Amino acid sequence: MNKINNNFKFEFDKKIQQIEFKINSKIYPLTTIYQATYLFLDKVYVFLDGQPEKEIKAFFKLKEHVNKEQLENLVGQFYNELLNQVLREKISQANDKIREYIVSQALYSAVPSEVDELLKEVEDDWQKDPLGIAQPWQEKKQAAKKSKKSSKKVKSKK
Amino acid sequence: MRIIKFNKKIYRPEAIKQAINDFKNLANFKLKENSDYIEIKINKIDQDYKDILKDEFANYALGLMS
Repeated sequence: MNKINNNFKFEFDKKIQQIEFKINSKIYPLTTIYQATYLFLDKVYVFLDGQPEKEIKAFFKLKEHVNKEQLENLVGQFYNELLNQVLREKISQANDKIREYIVSQALYSAVPSEVDELLKEVEDDWQKDPLGIAQPWQEKKQAAKKSKKSSKKVKSKK
Repeated sequence: MRIIKFNKKIYRPEAIKQAINDFKNLANFKLKENSDYIEIKINKIDQDYKDILKDEFANYALGLMS
């Protein structure tokens, strides 16, 4: 096995083009390992084994041939991504309650309440104006005068 | 024949079964389960995918875990 082991803990088997990582699952929980490896599925074939309580072994089989520099980049990117996912999870846990509150508020406001329905009914009735309250008094008076005049004319003709 | 052993503490059996169901047109799969591992025996692999099917299957199963 051809070992490259500088700053990062990994072993590289040149023959089968496979990198082996040993990841401390007390530092990087299994969920963060899932998320980090998921982002590499397009570049490598991933296989996980080991003991989730202590140490996870991640095997990355390269899909394409890479040189030493590319290999080290890949390993570095993976460790960066692990750290990124750990941070995401910590932030997610810290904001858990406020996120739940925001979502519940959004869902609550999306459901029409009884008060909203009553208000809508009142608004519709107001627009109909069955008692003619919205009509100005001058118009009402003029209309009444006209109707009186017309009734007088009818009477005189008779 | 290719054999893959999935650690049950890492891979959910439902994810493996789902992956088998999705890959069933490309090969024959036999599943054997013990307390720690799920062993998958892959036979009659489609010629076009013979070299990559085992690894693609493992990737797919892992994808179902996320």
